[in-house]
Amino acid sequence: MASQGLTYEGCNFFRQRLVLSTLSGKWVKIKNIRSKDDSPGLQDFEASFIRLMDKITNGTRIEINQTGTVLYYQPGLLFGGQVEHECNPQRSIGYYLEALLMLAPFMKKPLRAVLRGVTNDQKDPSVDTLKVTSIPLMKSFGIDGEGLELKIMKRGMPPGGGGEVLFTCPVRRTIRPVQLTDPGKIKRIRGTAYSVRVSPQIANRIVDSARSILNKFIPDIYIYTDHMKGGNAGKSPGFGLALVAESTNGMFLSAELASNPQGQGSPMLPEDLGCNCAKLLLEEVYRGGCVDSTNQSLALLYMTLGQQDVSKLLLGPLSPYTREFLRHIRDFFQIMFKIEVQKQEDESRRGGDKVLMTCMGAGYANISKTLK
Amino acid sequence: MEAKEQKRHQRKQSGPKAERKKSRKQRAPGAEPDEDERRRNPRAFAVQSAVRMAKTFHRAQDLKTKKHHIPLVDRTPLEPPPVVVVVVGPPRVGKSTIIRCLIKNFTRQKLGDICGPVTIVSGKKRRLTFIECGNDINTMIDLAKVADLVLMLIDASFGFEMETFEFLNILQVHGFPRIMGVLTHLDSFKNNKTLRKTKKRLKHRFWTEVYQGAKLFYLSGMVHGEYQAQEVKNLGRFISVMKFRPLVWQTSHPYVVADRMEDLTDPETLRVDPKCDRTVSLYGYLRGTYLKNKGQVHIPGVGDFAVADVSFLPDPCPLPEEQKKRALNQKERLLYAPMAGVGGVVYDKDAVYIDLVSSHVDQPQAEMRPTAELVQSLIGTHATLDAKLAASKVSLFSGAAAMTPGEAENLGEQQAPLENRVWDPVTQRERRKAVFSDDEEEGDGDESYEGDEEGQSEQGEQLSEEEEEEHEYSGEEEEEECSDEEGLQGGDEEEKSSGARESKVGEARRGQDEEEKAPRVKRQRLERVEAKPPVEMPAFADSEDDLEMSGDDGEQSEEDEREGAEGGTADSGHCSEEEVDDDDEDEAEDDNEEKQDGKEEEDDEEDDDYDDDEDSDMETEVTAPVNISKPVKAKVSVLSEEAEEDDGDAGELGNESTGALRWKEGLAQKASEAFLRQQQAAPNLRKLVYGSVIEEQNSPSDEDADEIGGLFRVSRPEKSRSRRVDAMDCSRFVPDSPHDWDQEEVLNSIRDCFVTGKWEESKDAATLLKEDEELYGDFEDLETGEVHHGKPAKEEDSAEESGEEEEEVMVKEDAEEEQKKKRLEKKRRLKERFDSEYDDGDATYFDDLKEEMQKQAELNRAEFENIDDEARVQYEGFRPGMYIRMEIPGLPCEFVNNFDPHYPIILGGLGASEGNVGYLQMRLKKHRWHQRILKTRDPLILSLGWRRFQSIPLYHIEDHNGRHRLLKYTPQHMHCGATIWGPITPQGTGFLAVQSVSGTQAGFRIAATGVILDLDKSVTIVKKLKLIGYPYKIFKNTAFIKGMFNTMLEVAKFEGASVRTVSGIRGQIKKALRTPSGAYRATFEDRILMSDIVLLRSWCPVSVPQLYNPVTSLLQPVGQKDSWSGMRTLGQLKRDLGLRNKPNQDSLYKPVVRTKRHFNPLHIPKQLQKALPFKSKPKQDQKKGKTPRHLQRPAVIREPHERKVAALLTALSTVHNYKTKKAKAEQHAKHKEFLKQKEREEMEKLKRQKEARKKMYRIMGQKEKKRERSSLKGSSKDD
Repeated sequence: MASQGLTYEGCNFFRQRLVLSTLSGKWVKIKNIRSKDDSPGLQDFEASFIRLMDKITNGTRIEINQTGTVLYYQPGLLFGGQVEHECNPQRSIGYYLEALLMLAPFMKKPLRAVLRGVTNDQKDPSVDTLKVTSIPLMKSFGIDGEGLELKIMKRGMPPGGGGEVLFTCPVRRTIRPVQLTDPGKIKRIRGTAYSVRVSPQIANRIVDSARSILNKFIPDIYIYTDHMKGGNAGKSPGFGLALVAESTNGMFLSAELASNPQGQGSPMLPEDLGCNCAKLLLEEVYRGGCVDSTNQSLALLYMTLGQQDVSKLLLGPLSPYTREFLRHIRDFFQIMFKIEVQKQEDESRRGGDKVLMTCMGAGYANISKTLK
Repeated sequence: MEAKEQKRHQRKQSGPKAERKKSRKQRAPGAEPDEDERRRNPRAFAVQSAVRMAKTFHRAQDLKTKKHHIPLVDRTPLEPPPVVVVVVGPPRVGKSTIIRCLIKNFTRQKLGDICGPVTIVSGKKRRLTFIECGNDINTMIDLAKVADLVLMLIDASFGFEMETFEFLNILQVHGFPRIMGVLTHLDSFKNNKTLRKTKKRLKHRFWTEVYQGAKLFYLSGMVHGEYQAQEVKNLGRFISVMKFRPLVWQTSHPYVVADRMEDLTDPETLRVDPKCDRTVSLYGYLRGTYLKNKGQVHIPGVGDFAVADVSFLPDPCPLPEEQKKRALNQKERLLYAPMAGVGGVVYDKDAVYIDLVSSHVDQPQAEMRPTAELVQSLIGTHATLDAKLAASKVSLFSGAAAMTPGEAENLGEQQAPLENRVWDPVTQRERRKAVFSDDEEEGDGDESYEGDEEGQSEQGEQLSEEEEEEHEYSGEEEEEECSDEEGLQGGDEEEKSSGARESKVGEARRGQDEEEKAPRVKRQRLERVEAKPPVEMPAFADSEDDLEMSGDDGEQSEEDEREGAEGGTADSGHCSEEEVDDDDEDEAEDDNEEKQDGKEEEDDEEDDDYDDDEDSDMETEVTAPVNISKPVKAKVSVLSEEAEEDDGDAGELGNESTGALRWKEGLAQKASEAFLRQQQAAPNLRKLVYGSVIEEQNSPSDEDADEIGGLFRVSRPEKSRSRRVDAMDCSRFVPDSPHDWDQEEVLNSIRDCFVTGKWEESKDAATLLKEDEELYGDFEDLETGEVHHGKPAKEEDSAEESGEEEEEVMVKEDAEEEQKKKRLEKKRRLKERFDSEYDDGDATYFDDLKEEMQKQAELNRAEFENIDDEARVQYEGFRPGMYIRMEIPGLPCEFVNNFDPHYPIILGGLGASEGNVGYLQMRLKKHRWHQRILKTRDPLILSLGWRRFQSIPLYHIEDHNGRHRLLKYTPQHMHCGATIWGPITPQGTGFLAVQSVSGTQAGFRIAATGVILDLDKSVTIVKKLKLIGYPYKIFKNTAFIKGMFNTMLEVAKFEGASVRTVSGIRGQIKKALRTPSGAYRATFEDRILMSDIVLLRSWCPVSVPQLYNPVTSLLQPVGQKDSWSGMRTLGQLKRDLGLRNKPNQDSLYKPVVRTKRHFNPLHIPKQLQKALPFKSKPKQDQKKGKTPRHLQRPAVIREPHERKVAALLTALSTVHNYKTKKAKAEQHAKHKEFLKQKEREEMEKLKRQKEARKKMYRIMGQKEKKRERSSLKGSSKDD
């Protein structure tokens, strides 16, 4: 029996492809991975990601050619359970965690993953951000209850890493359709200013500068300072800020910024970092929507995998990553979204144009879950 | 013997009893008596026991909640597909007759052979599809999965047959659709009573199988080979008002019961290789749920296939439009059964097949058929002149068609094999395909020829010709519409089909002719299309597309220019529908020409231009994220930037320079520009994400076009693409051109996003407060009598009015209206608040859930309602109820060659990852009616999901510790686990198993039933393994054991494992020994013997054989479809090959020879003996043997006197003995005599009595005789 599959080129959107392949059961073949690069083939962090996928699934077949430029991935069944993974420090844990967030509700056993590596870096969404944005988002899709938790045990900054994160997620058979069309108004801003292996004063400096900008809009701001010491502080020094704005309807928009890794780039002033991060948050608010730009694809995936009902979601402008994700969803699940642009009137001071995404769920049911 | 009729009960009319009853009756209505009783006898109504009351309450609640089902979202389509009515029963029970009668009842038409599904319109809101189910178990299984209603025919004269019960069991496993039993052959009962009894017996048996009170219908007798009209009518009524239950599998999977099949394979490849894989299009109503294009389907009896293309066609059997009328008129009573050769006009994507009734000589009532009416209505359609012109060309062309009649025949056969089979050639009924292409024209020519032969009147011929024209035209339109709206398939399909047709004809000249003609027609169409107002155009009728139109206006000139230059090609980002069409046509033309004349360079140039353009377009669009990072770009959201890139194709450079200028301009201007750009961008968002559909379709031809003259390739800077393809995989969306958040204007732009900003009118705190004031403002303080007034609500309004007195009356009226509205609004809100306060208490969780579901259902219905079907299909997939055409490539040739319309073809859609194979764990129970238990590793045919397949199950049972232990056989009457290698199917799906699907065997065929529990890629079944070892040295509790393992390593693996001797002494493996390899040291709880055997009980995993063998019963030759046989069981193999198992000699049972056991004497130590009590002391006495001499007693020698005395005594006693003996004998004889005497007396007494009786009887007899005689005499006197 020949199952269906898809072929792609290039290493970009690598995670999307593997995740969707695992969920849809279609095999995927990725060719020409960095074939013209100086260092061709899969890189360490991708290999680490594949290993993680292998750990959470059962019966997955992975074939990689000699140079690592061709990957064949035949997914198995999502298994879950206790997983420990050493994430490659080239990318932060967020890189791996984003995929886990997508897969976790569809496992056979509730996932309990311990990920070790870099918790905050400049490339990927940090664990702090995912904790405050993705987890509430999952709750709105009916994935809630006891088990859903993301806990930062230790912090680790690049290049050394050494952080540790615990992610647990319950299992669901079906996902609820959502109608998130009204983001509401932002009622409070929270944040975490963290610093490891540097002066604890730095966090306070960040907080002050960030507040100076955000105070123009709203007084309800509280930014926690999180200074970790000793074993919990990881291997490299660094600091950063993650901000989140909560709306009256329980939507979360986030922004974050981390310092340059040790030995790379010029050292940053904490004041600048705070200011820039606050501005990033304002930018995010300008974009608006019910889901912030990093979680767009997660929300769209859950909408796709819902029951055969209409889901609606208001988003800010679609990020390139999301756009490719939509294309991939069409490839794997044959589902297209109705995309409507909601114009903002001139005098309304509510940021940029929004996009209303509507789709009919695929009627996906978790086939891994055991029937007792 | 009839039973005596009982006397009926007479009700008392008077008397105290009657009065009492009367009074009670009078009192009964009304609650008073209750009250009275309550008052009179309060104890009877008091709480006797709180516990019992609680129990009663609990029970009442339990019963109430039991009635609740988990509410589900109502997903039934607005226009449901026809109801599938499956008619089942053993052979010769009257299945076809009942279908025929029902069809006649509903449509007033007679259908000869029931071949394949027959769809009819049965009422204003209901259509029915009748399918006859043969006696083959494959068919029964397949149809049970798609049935909505099962008419179960039972031959009452015979009683139930095994098939009926088998079918019931199949239904139970695959969800339980509605069942209606129909008893036939009731006229064979001569006796009314047996008839009644039989009915009752059958009814009760049926009820136990289905449910108490299941409907059983009686068809009493036949009239002229049909059932009685009234009875059929009643049955029809039952069917047409029946409600159906949603079945889990059916509602979660899309499926199609194909009612039409066409082979699309290229005839040339067919000629070259008659056994090549076929491309087949299958038609039918979509049922179940939404079907996504390009999915995977399973065809039971054939296998899994990927669908190449799905498209929807106009409904061939639509429901009547006006709903007001009471009954259907004749026109609306449609019948559609292409497999049975009925259906009139059948549409295809690129063809229309017409069954011409006029040429039908044998059927006099043909005019009455709705099909004919359909054709007539088609004739009635008004055709434009150009269409007629085009058509007339075709008819001109048909004159030459007679040149290759053989070819045409061939074609016809291949296109419609069913009809050939179904219809007798004697009836001369042809099937005409009216298509706007060469092969069709050929067919036309032929048909007109035939018409001549038949000697039809000229008029008729003309009519038919006209008809043809009409149909051709309509077909063309159809096609147009398809290509117009679909866009997706449009160009490509046309290209393909035209190409295919060309090759079919195989004549160059004709092909050229066609080339010359076809495009012209298409151009005509094009013009027409372009003339249409733009509103009608958008294929994806999003609201944005209209905007696009308006947005495009500004750039129209620019685009026009480009179009002029490129000859009608347009860029993908902007292509509105006309342009798309244009492109398609051009492309199609080009391609055709290419095929025709080889590669022409001029054409290629054009193509290249076009393709290049498109490609570059794609790239710009695609590389957008990379480009954005250029700092020159204006400050706008990425959205708008993409748009810019889209419209700004080639002139990026210019754009950039302007962008650089703009950078320094004022913010307001920038904002307005951004706004403009956004407006332009909006419509393209969809295309931006999903790309232009046409682009994708054309991409292969793009690659072809890359080659210039077949030698050189156009080399394009690959960098951008590769960069994108290998870019960093990151979900963060970093703003490329961040706003300057130091400026006040920018800050103001998001001011309202915060709670501190301005709220909407309806949610503003001030408004809310005011409303509250309005609602609750007026009140009267009851204590003081003071009346408080809220602020007059319309103060402002009135103020405004007074201020604007000069306004006209109209405005005032408006204001009044407004006031009224506001009042209403206020009322509504008040009511809402009241409701929410007072209803909330009652509303349970269940109610809330139900309401939520209701809302969701409404949303589902409303969301895509206004979009036209072409776009809608892309968003939600094909809706159930649509008539669709599925193109499936790669079907085995046997499917077409051995096609038999009597066997249903079902296309079952597969969900995500249901196309994969893996291990399935299920709970299984041998069917209690199946005679034998099932053996592990015997192949079994399972029906699971859509599939029927053979697999090898391993049976197992779960031990108390969760271990799955392998079983050799299924338990007799118990569930057990089973694991197979098979298709991934969601848990909770039921399955059934049979041992063979070929022929009919004795006994009940369904071997087992069960349910899927778990899917896993690995198995956990284990079987017991006992390892044996022998001690070779024994210390106290320690022993050295050898022979269990071979190496030290093996021992090391089992260190700490527990062992046991045969006698039950437990122990543990400690450590491996060096010398005899594999030996180890073990400790036991007691000292073991050298003769003991040491056992190690372990479990070894068993692997499940990976056999998945779909039952390909549909591929069997016609007439042998029920003879599929797969892998044989070991037993069958041995039987067939005549092999007998040679058992291991050691395993044979032999007579047990037991050696006599010899026990050593028990030795008790002396010390112990001493201590023992006497009772337990070993007794020393020997057995009595010969008494030794010294112990022998001496003999007694008597004295002579003594001797005499003794002798006398002996003599005396002897005498005495003799005397007593004698006396006894005497006594005995005396007694005997006495008994004899007594008996004799008795006898005599009896004798005497007998005599006396005799005497008496004689006298009595004589008396009687006398009386008789006297009476006779009397009577004789009378005479």
